[in-house]
Amino acid sequence: MIDDVMIIIENLNKHFRSGDALSKVLKDINLEIRAGECIVLKGVSGSGKTTLLSIMAGLDRPSSGKVLVEGESISKLPDLHISHFRAQKIGMIFQHFNLFDHLTAAENVMIPLIPAGLSMDEVNQKVQKSLKLANISHKTQSTAGRLSGGEKQRVAIARALVSDPAIILCDEPTANLDRDNSLKFIDILGQLHDMGKTIVVATHDPLFDSLPFVSRIIPMEDGSLVSTVPNDTLAES
Amino acid sequence: MRNSPFFHFLTLEFFKERKKHIGVIAISLVILFLLSSVLFISSSIRYSLEQTLEQEPDFVVQRTQGGERVSVPIEWTDGLLEIHGISSVTPRVYGRYFFKSKEDSFLVVGVDFMDEQSHKALRTIMDETDLKQFLKGENMLVGEGVSRYLKAHFYPKGYTFLTPKGAFKKVHLFKVLPKESNLIANDMIIVPIELAQEILGMSEEEVSDIAFNVPNDDEWENVEDKISSFHYDLRVVTKNDIKKAYENLYNYKGGIFLILFLITMVTFVLILYQRYSMVYSSERRHIGLLRALGWSINDVLKLKFFETMMVVVMAYVLGVALAYFYVFVLGAPLLREIFLGGVNLHNSITLVPILDFGILSSIFLIYAVPFVSAVLIPVWKIAVTDPKEAML
Repeated sequence: MIDDVMIIIENLNKHFRSGDALSKVLKDINLEIRAGECIVLKGVSGSGKTTLLSIMAGLDRPSSGKVLVEGESISKLPDLHISHFRAQKIGMIFQHFNLFDHLTAAENVMIPLIPAGLSMDEVNQKVQKSLKLANISHKTQSTAGRLSGGEKQRVAIARALVSDPAIILCDEPTANLDRDNSLKFIDILGQLHDMGKTIVVATHDPLFDSLPFVSRIIPMEDGSLVSTVPNDTLAES
Repeated sequence: MRNSPFFHFLTLEFFKERKKHIGVIAISLVILFLLSSVLFISSSIRYSLEQTLEQEPDFVVQRTQGGERVSVPIEWTDGLLEIHGISSVTPRVYGRYFFKSKEDSFLVVGVDFMDEQSHKALRTIMDETDLKQFLKGENMLVGEGVSRYLKAHFYPKGYTFLTPKGAFKKVHLFKVLPKESNLIANDMIIVPIELAQEILGMSEEEVSDIAFNVPNDDEWENVEDKISSFHYDLRVVTKNDIKKAYENLYNYKGGIFLILFLITMVTFVLILYQRYSMVYSSERRHIGLLRALGWSINDVLKLKFFETMMVVVMAYVLGVALAYFYVFVLGAPLLREIFLGGVNLHNSITLVPILDFGILSSIFLIYAVPFVSAVLIPVWKIAVTDPKEAML
């Protein structure tokens, strides 16, 4: 499974135009991510890691170049297909959790399943399973707005897992967590890796520097990939 | 539907974010209530008018001099009778009698009770009147407004008219006309034709106008042309002219309300449009997040459409029901004064409940189409942008 390529990024560029000025956010990115790999994109704020993650998730489109997921280019898919791709293939964990504060944990988790055309019973089963996996099933009926940061993060993880996606993308997942909750999150991430999920984490948190399940750490600087560093080399240094 | 996650989520969103919707429903309710009330009142008045005008003669001949109406010589009747196709030629006597304050007036109508045709128009409102008894003395039948006015001025049993020739004429109040006739008979006094001529200062050879019917509708135009050339200062008024005059009066009042409604509706739609467009970032984030979680543009539009329709239907049902109760049960206090005001005596007509599909669907469309558009257009604009941009 490790040898199968899950994501291929080819000559990817992203720029924004503001008046006459052209701001290049991503510059000529080339990257291959194998199925089951866990890679960490490291870099300071503004280095382009969140934009790269968004393009991988189909939330944003590249200015040039392409992203292939399981051999299919997602960069120019029509709305219905890209939405289906996001719902089926991608589990996204956001920095600010992005929960609907007025809904309960279970109701938040069910949102990605609603367009799937499942019955209510099937949805409930998947939601319960996912909440259990994220270790938050004791807060099923709690309103998201009343949960702690760590609990919100686990609800966000459950929501990302509910469609059983092959790829988990995490954008600064520990930026709003204390150390204890960050370690709990890393623990869950390890379990997801064991389940064979392909994981991409964009972070600047040093906690991710020496994790055993991280296969590569890719530093980013000013919109470019600096070099790909195998994790064991980094740990040794 | 109960087993559908979509409708489950729709109701969750709607009821858990009810605070967001309550304000919109409340404003909608007021707008719909006003719009429905105005349309109910005007349609009820139109219905009553049609019922009343059904009894009116097809044509009325009047005389004008220097642009002013004057009495018609009764011998014109003979000329009219000679025209082929004309039937029921009836001279009529009526005019306004000003009460002593000169501020209020009654409509005095003289009826030739010996001629059945002459009081055909008043048959429905005089149905249960004992004519023999009525004609024995100098009696009058009065509308409800007149009766109330006389009682308030201490004339409960009759009134002494002062004729233009300076003579006093005491007339006994024989009966009050039924409430159902109030739209036309509220300020009306019905007396025998000779008595009306005396009260209004006319000679026996003069009448106010001459009414007649033309049973063949196709002949209306011909007859109108013939009669118009009959005398140089003669004016012909058709039943349709009267109907239009009444409708214009009430439509103009209804029109003012509709303009006010449109101004309110435009303001409301702009507020809604702003709410769902870029001004309110929480809505943008909400939509962007749904898109990020795998919802297509159609899924988002479907959710927002049903959410909006729930608001629309809720406000519509409540607004229309409240308006129905206000107009047809409570009798539309305040609004009725605006619609029926302008007549000098207070009118207490009963608004006949009229609910036709045309009115109900008009109310729904006038309200729902701009409302739904004001929500869905900005939602669509947000939904088609990249989710990342919408979530910013």
